[in-house]
Amino acid sequence: MTQQEVHDVVMIGAGPAALTAAIYTTREDIDTVLFEKGVIGGLAAVTDWVDNYPGFPKGISGLDLAQGLNEQAERFGAVIRLGEVFGIAETNGLKKLSTSDGDIFAKSVLIATGSDYKKIGVPGEQEFYGKGVHYCATCDGAFYRDKRLVVVGGGNSAVQEAIFLTRFATHIDLLVRGDKMRASEILQKELKEHADKITVHMNTTTDEIVGNEEGKVVAVKGTDKTNNSEVEVAADGVFVFVGLSPNTDFLQGTDIRLDEIGMIVTDANLETSMPGVFAAGDVRSGATMQIASATGEGATAALMIRKYLENKDKHVVTPPVPAVADVST
Amino acid sequence: MVKNITIFTTNTCAYCVMVKKWLGAKGYRYEEVNLDVNPERQKEAFEMSGQMAVPVTVVTKQDDSKEVVVGYNLSKLAPALA
Repeated sequence: MTQQEVHDVVMIGAGPAALTAAIYTTREDIDTVLFEKGVIGGLAAVTDWVDNYPGFPKGISGLDLAQGLNEQAERFGAVIRLGEVFGIAETNGLKKLSTSDGDIFAKSVLIATGSDYKKIGVPGEQEFYGKGVHYCATCDGAFYRDKRLVVVGGGNSAVQEAIFLTRFATHIDLLVRGDKMRASEILQKELKEHADKITVHMNTTTDEIVGNEEGKVVAVKGTDKTNNSEVEVAADGVFVFVGLSPNTDFLQGTDIRLDEIGMIVTDANLETSMPGVFAAGDVRSGATMQIASATGEGATAALMIRKYLENKDKHVVTPPVPAVADVST
Repeated sequence: MVKNITIFTTNTCAYCVMVKKWLGAKGYRYEEVNLDVNPERQKEAFEMSGQMAVPVTVVTKQDDSKEVVVGYNLSKLAPALA
């Protein structure tokens, strides 16, 4: 007979929220496994520079921050598996997780799958993906030494990454759909300091990414909404940062309630509509999309999970999980 | 059978870190070409992958055939090494 794999807590995702939660749970000797299908550290890891995370007066690179959180969680015994979770279901008082490593059971679950950058959905975006259209400046920016770029977006990520890309590109046009920048004041100030390399186009939509007969991006077409005139900007590449979309597709059809934009609804204890399943970080409805908030929520979630496990051990008799017969014996 | 593995990376690429971590966990040895240190090899990475993106992992088999995987994509990387 083969013993089923059961853990105290399985965390889905290994970004700042889950890694912080794992630091707390493992220090309480709670058996903790994390599943990460993408990058350990999540979007923080692909962010060039983080200036607003407390404790780093000079700022820290997103990759270094992610690696520090990773090492800290592993130091106390967290196990990070590079794999994917496809679904969650209640079974015999446990949570059954369908994963790329097969079915795994957990007494509690933390969903901290974060969000990914949205696509803009214009002609040329899909066609030139990876060949002129990108969503990760820290990954692909180096291919644009001495080239012209367009960055789409007006939030913190767009401004931060446009500034990062000035180390490679000769010139950057920043296309902002709205009449106001959503980026923080300090980033906007920094943006102005790069006015020699970055031209900001407010009220400008991005309508098409244009390529040539050699399959290379040559321009971006848009519309100046103030007078409805067409705008065409020469570009060798386009980087898109137009907001975030939650990674919750794998929860469709489960008992876990999502809000109208697909983010996970929790109560004040960060518990979802499925008892024993918690959510934290950028995937949670109401999240502020800040690394500091995500780590704070991770710590809170860990304490709530500890409380849940204590109560479960006290009051709930967990039926034994049916073992799977090993056909080789 | 794998003869050798080359990964094209950059200093700031988190996905590159993941590919190296995954290969290391599986016990594979690889040569790393850092394009920040060797920008003259960007063209080679582009010609191999057809994309201006990293990581690019080039798996050379014993018969010298090559499989190229762009990004941290385990559904393509694992079969390429099989």
